[in-house]
Amino acid sequence: MKFKKFILLIILLLTSGILFACSDKDTTSSGDSGEKVDAVELELYSWRPEDREAYEKFIEAFEAENPGIKINFQPFESTEYNTILTNSLVSGSGPDIVQLRPYSGTKSIADNGYLAPLDDVPGVMDIEESFLEAAKGSDGQVYGVPTTLNAGVIFYNKDIFEKYGLAAPETWEELLQVSEELKSNGITPIAQAGRAAYLLSMLHGVISPSAYGGNDYVDEILAGSTDLTDLKMMETLDRMEEIEQYLPEDFIALDDNDAQALFYAGEAAMYINGDYRLGTFEKNAPEMNIGIIPGLKGEGQNEPFVMNWVDGSFGVVEDSEHKEEALKFIEYMATKEFGQLFSDELNRLSAINGVEPKHELVKQVTKASEANTTPYLLLVYFGEGSPTTKTVFEDSLQGMYLGEITKEQVLEDAQKNVERVATEEE
Amino acid sequence: MSSHIKEKGYFQKRKLRKNMVHLFLLPAAVLYGVFQLYPLISAALNSFYSFNGFDRDQFIGLKNFIVLFTEEPYKGTFFNAFKHNWIYFFVTVFTQLVISLFLALIIHSKIKGKEIFKSIFFLPKLLSVIVIGFLFSLVLNPTRGALNNLLEAIGLEELTRPWLGSMDTALFSVIFVDSWASIGFSMLIFLAGLQAIESEIFEAAKIDGANWFTVLRKITIPMLGPSLLVMSVLVFIGSFETFEYVYAMQGSSGGPYYSTDVLTTFFYRLAFGTTDGGQSIGLGSAIAVILFIIIGLATTLMLLIFRRKDFER
Repeated sequence: MKFKKFILLIILLLTSGILFACSDKDTTSSGDSGEKVDAVELELYSWRPEDREAYEKFIEAFEAENPGIKINFQPFESTEYNTILTNSLVSGSGPDIVQLRPYSGTKSIADNGYLAPLDDVPGVMDIEESFLEAAKGSDGQVYGVPTTLNAGVIFYNKDIFEKYGLAAPETWEELLQVSEELKSNGITPIAQAGRAAYLLSMLHGVISPSAYGGNDYVDEILAGSTDLTDLKMMETLDRMEEIEQYLPEDFIALDDNDAQALFYAGEAAMYINGDYRLGTFEKNAPEMNIGIIPGLKGEGQNEPFVMNWVDGSFGVVEDSEHKEEALKFIEYMATKEFGQLFSDELNRLSAINGVEPKHELVKQVTKASEANTTPYLLLVYFGEGSPTTKTVFEDSLQGMYLGEITKEQVLEDAQKNVERVATEEE
Repeated sequence: MSSHIKEKGYFQKRKLRKNMVHLFLLPAAVLYGVFQLYPLISAALNSFYSFNGFDRDQFIGLKNFIVLFTEEPYKGTFFNAFKHNWIYFFVTVFTQLVISLFLALIIHSKIKGKEIFKSIFFLPKLLSVIVIGFLFSLVLNPTRGALNNLLEAIGLEELTRPWLGSMDTALFSVIFVDSWASIGFSMLIFLAGLQAIESEIFEAAKIDGANWFTVLRKITIPMLGPSLLVMSVLVFIGSFETFEYVYAMQGSSGGPYYSTDVLTTFFYRLAFGTTDGGQSIGLGSAIAVILFIIIGLATTLMLLIFRRKDFER
């Protein structure tokens, strides 16, 4: 008898656990002086655990004006995020508001009907068209509010440049001259890592627009009148080869952290990556005197090409039970007020019109982007397929630096993948 | 009469109790079903579909398998990874099995402090793979790594190299780390096998004048048969399922330039994509199915061969 009771108890415990897990958590009571207001609780998924503090501030500002809505910021590890998002959307178990990967990332989710179109949300259509491109579905509708614009830039150590009497380079030739000068003084010119292949396509993206002629070549590619095996593209790989002598020894074995350490320690004078590293530097090496070269000028140009891409956007899940409330938050994210707060808190470029960044360097990059922006070609236009052409390209760059394949093969492999992806989508 | 009824009641109770036993298996069966059986069957099903993670809409038969074996870049990547799995196996047999057998023999030979050595060799097995991967990434770092620094300090500068960043050494470095961590486990298995051999046999051999090598060849190894079989099968399965160390040290791309790519990392990239996208669960599942077949076939074959040998003896 005792035995049966024991079993019963176990079963009871197990089922109560399940019941508890299934219980409705959507509405919670809030309100100060005992007055009960039923607030709608929304789940917001993001891949930026490191931005939690800032997001909590944004949410606080929003909740102050919308007392009926509570937002729960749920960040996940960036590398796990795509899988978590896909699974929770398919199972219908998760979020109301989701951070969306730009371009093909948004498209694939929107095309499967998981997102609510945002064209009618006030303020959304005022965002610059090229930024909205990152958040559109194949049907041309907007499914996300882009928050940040990224820029691939060259960070440099101002003290080192001053010590050797060097000016920040503005063209490819000047970059080589400066690098040569630094190298002859025993300083590694560029702290570059190559163990994670995406860092190589970042380097390529920053130094190549002035070689292929910026947006004209991009337009030609989009029109289909040329492809990745174009001579202009070959010129960009010539540059990649030329710059190798100014990268750290064995850089293919280095992590981004190693590269950053070289830069912090003053062993290397420049570091190429997204402008979002500014926050990392200010946290890890606040005393460092950092300058930014937003990009390189092409021949006869007054403004450098700044390689930009939208970092991500926020969308609303179509089947969310609280779609209306979620759309309210999206509306808030499209306001200048949010854009300003975002830029001030995170020192990032806002995608919202008319936001004036507080940080001097962010201001500089924003201004340069406005003057002459060019897309991160591989990320914006070659992010589709399995594997993506961007992945094939950057892995091949590793192969090129290791002497496994030639420049020609790098471009051929990438172009072949473009053609394969086209048939994959049919 | 009454005793008969009593007996009947007793048997019923016993029967009930016997049936209750099945209830205890239920939690394990549920866990096994949810975490083993269901993924296995669903992966097998997924491999016949075009599936990008959202909609498993189109049944395409064997197309995923055909694409993997005939179309670039899949074909090249697949066979490259497959080759690395074989290298992983053959190298591990030496770095893990041979060395751990050797260690087991030494410890078994009644040296002083053998318990301490046993613990020391087994210790890495207790560490998390991620911790080991991270530590060895530091040790093998080309600029600040302890290994290169050590080589420089003892005047072997020409041996320093970017261990994890070179096509020639990256895979072997990962295998070495894996073996370093796993050696203690196989050593314990061998040690248990050695302890099961009766000491009279060794003594008899000694009296007959057999030297150390003859004893090893004629007595120790044949009598360790079962342990060797278990460990070979485990090493084979481990080499084809290997993922953690490659992932922890080189990421899912199996870099540099696919030089450490194995079937599981290839599977991971296809099934889960990268942060840039590129997900194809259908193709990924096809790799999982192939992997399952390879491991299943090879393991069965090895067991059969060993069993036949057993009979001969």
